[in-house]
Amino acid sequence: MSRALLSIATHAYVLAAIVYLAHLVRQRRALATAGRALIGAGLVLQGMGLGSALVEQGGVPAGLAQGLSAVSFLLLAIFFVLDLRYRLPVMGAFITPLAVAILVPAQLLGPGGASLPPSVQRPLLPFHISIALLGIAAFAIAAGVALMYLLMERQMKGKHFGLLFSRLPSLKFLDELNRHLVVWGFVALSVTLITGAVLFYGSSGGFYWRWEPRQVATALAWLLFAVLLNARFFAGWQGRRAAVLTMAGFCVLVVSFLSSYDPHRQLGAFR
Amino acid sequence: MELLCVGLSHKTAPIEVREKLALPIEDQEAMLRDLLKELPEALLISTCNRVEFYVVHGSSDQAKRRVRSVISSNGRAHLVEHLYEHGGEAALVHLFRVTASLDSMVVGEPQILGQVKEALELAQRVGAAGGELARACSAAFGSAKRVRSETAIGRAAVSMAGAAVELASKIFGTLSGRSVLLVGAGEMAELAAKHLVAAGALPMVVVNRTLDGARALAAAIGATAKEFSEIYSLLGPADLVVCSTASPSHLFTRENVSPVLKSRRFRPLFMVDLAVPRDIDPKVNELEGVYAYDIDDIQQIVADNWAGRVAEVAKAEVIIAEEIANFVRSRSVRENLPVLAQLRARAEQIALAEAERTLAHFGVITDRQRRGIQAMAMAIVNKLLHEPTAKLREQGPDRSGNSLAGAAAELFGLEQPGPSSAGSKESISSVSKIASADRGGKQ
Repeated sequence: MSRALLSIATHAYVLAAIVYLAHLVRQRRALATAGRALIGAGLVLQGMGLGSALVEQGGVPAGLAQGLSAVSFLLLAIFFVLDLRYRLPVMGAFITPLAVAILVPAQLLGPGGASLPPSVQRPLLPFHISIALLGIAAFAIAAGVALMYLLMERQMKGKHFGLLFSRLPSLKFLDELNRHLVVWGFVALSVTLITGAVLFYGSSGGFYWRWEPRQVATALAWLLFAVLLNARFFAGWQGRRAAVLTMAGFCVLVVSFLSSYDPHRQLGAFR
Repeated sequence: MELLCVGLSHKTAPIEVREKLALPIEDQEAMLRDLLKELPEALLISTCNRVEFYVVHGSSDQAKRRVRSVISSNGRAHLVEHLYEHGGEAALVHLFRVTASLDSMVVGEPQILGQVKEALELAQRVGAAGGELARACSAAFGSAKRVRSETAIGRAAVSMAGAAVELASKIFGTLSGRSVLLVGAGEMAELAAKHLVAAGALPMVVVNRTLDGARALAAAIGATAKEFSEIYSLLGPADLVVCSTASPSHLFTRENVSPVLKSRRFRPLFMVDLAVPRDIDPKVNELEGVYAYDIDDIQQIVADNWAGRVAEVAKAEVIIAEEIANFVRSRSVRENLPVLAQLRARAEQIALAEAERTLAHFGVITDRQRRGIQAMAMAIVNKLLHEPTAKLREQGPDRSGNSLAGAAAELFGLEQPGPSSAGSKESISSVSKIASADRGGKQ
């Protein structure tokens, strides 16, 4: 049931991605509306699918497939809200293909099932995982916005006023959106680290830091974003530097996300 | 006597070439004097985006050679590859289009008319603009004024400032509350300032070589005027800088802009350079957070906005074609005038002589009767000559060279019109064709 819903939702997103790319070229208002409707419908279906699966699993998302699915859901949900608020169909051309790229592997991977040791199965776990996924989604959009900023800046500096010049929002807007998303993502990431520490403290008797790749990557990502926010607020960094750093931080975060799942078990479930 | 135009403009030469072109008045005079040695008339239009010679000549090849050698003298040999030529009617069309601002970088910009007037004054001072060029210019002025009053083309000039605002808003989003520094107080600066104010930018500071000039513009747009020496310290608080000075060298370079950036803490700085030669070194654009645009860059955006003004330009082209037709017609009338005058003088002379002879037979008559007889004789002359006069005025010499004026001269045994009619051989109907050829490939 939930797989069928997810499959329909994925098709809606693929269509939305095509529609948004067409909108980037043709700039028809109807295309923007169609993209918005497709995303909205996809979110409802995917939300129902994810929700029913979570209820079955007692509220704990499990397996890489569900993780990826949840990230793409949150990603599109954030975009959907931003689009309703600022009317940014241009962003759809960047975000929807990204969401599809995340979702398609999730379709190919089988359901991972509840795989966490019972020692960490505590009431805090669903919250820890949800907030981690939300943070990743926020950073993914921040990285998309940073990419838009860099493309736009290249046109402004290179004086090649092409297709994107007239369609992308101003540098100022992209930079501020990036800042907000990074702030929210950073809050989510910090909460993830704290709840993670609490969970493991409870389960392994106080020994938390074990130099696991996941821990190192997450800490490194957190550090990068901390540096970025400090530079922004205290040294006045903005624009290009912030965009590049955001993208670097997101890459580290992707490593952290993937290493949160046991590769052997996930690949074993690959059909 | 034919008209020839040789020159270069923003359509054929890039800004790197144009900005080294500013010709001092003394050089312009020397070049005109040089040309006068071999050619009867010469005119030099020299603006920041254009250097054009118009000469009247008897032999096209010799004239082209002469003008080219004058242009390429004094180490300007590299200009030759950017030159274009228009001969005869096409040169006339080009002069009219240039004067009406249809050939301008910013189509419809108002300065060019004054610049052509100054060019004519200079040529007349040197004694280089005789009747032919002076008449062509004054007709061009007339058509430029018609274009200005009968079309909305003047509105097109604002698109340059509009494009600057568009670029700025792609950086800052909204311009409200952004502070603007105007360097130079020319007409373009004023236009740009008004657009920026309309887009919400404030507060503004004006600096100019002369403080009075800065004060005048500042008063007009509600800004503050500052000393020119403060220019680099004013860069710190500014978000937008609009340059339009006549400075021969760069005012802003990497070296003097980059120290200011530290205090700005990565705040973006938008700089527009409307001046040629440029006030801003293009290398300034390489600095982080600085976006520097020259007039060619802005032009790219203006070209994108072109579609809306095509109709106005088309109207202007029609006006110019009409005015050129008028000019060509009146030129041929002028050339036929000696024949007309001779014809009328001969006829009147005969009529009055015959009237006197008749009156002599009458003996004593009253003044009133005498005047009546004379009036009758003149009326017959007028009636008889009405048609031929009208025809001669209407029709210039035809293509075969057998002009009506020539025919009339032969029929009535008058002197032939002079060789100056050679310049108007082309028929009027070809004018619009040439006008469209002049436009071709330039948009």
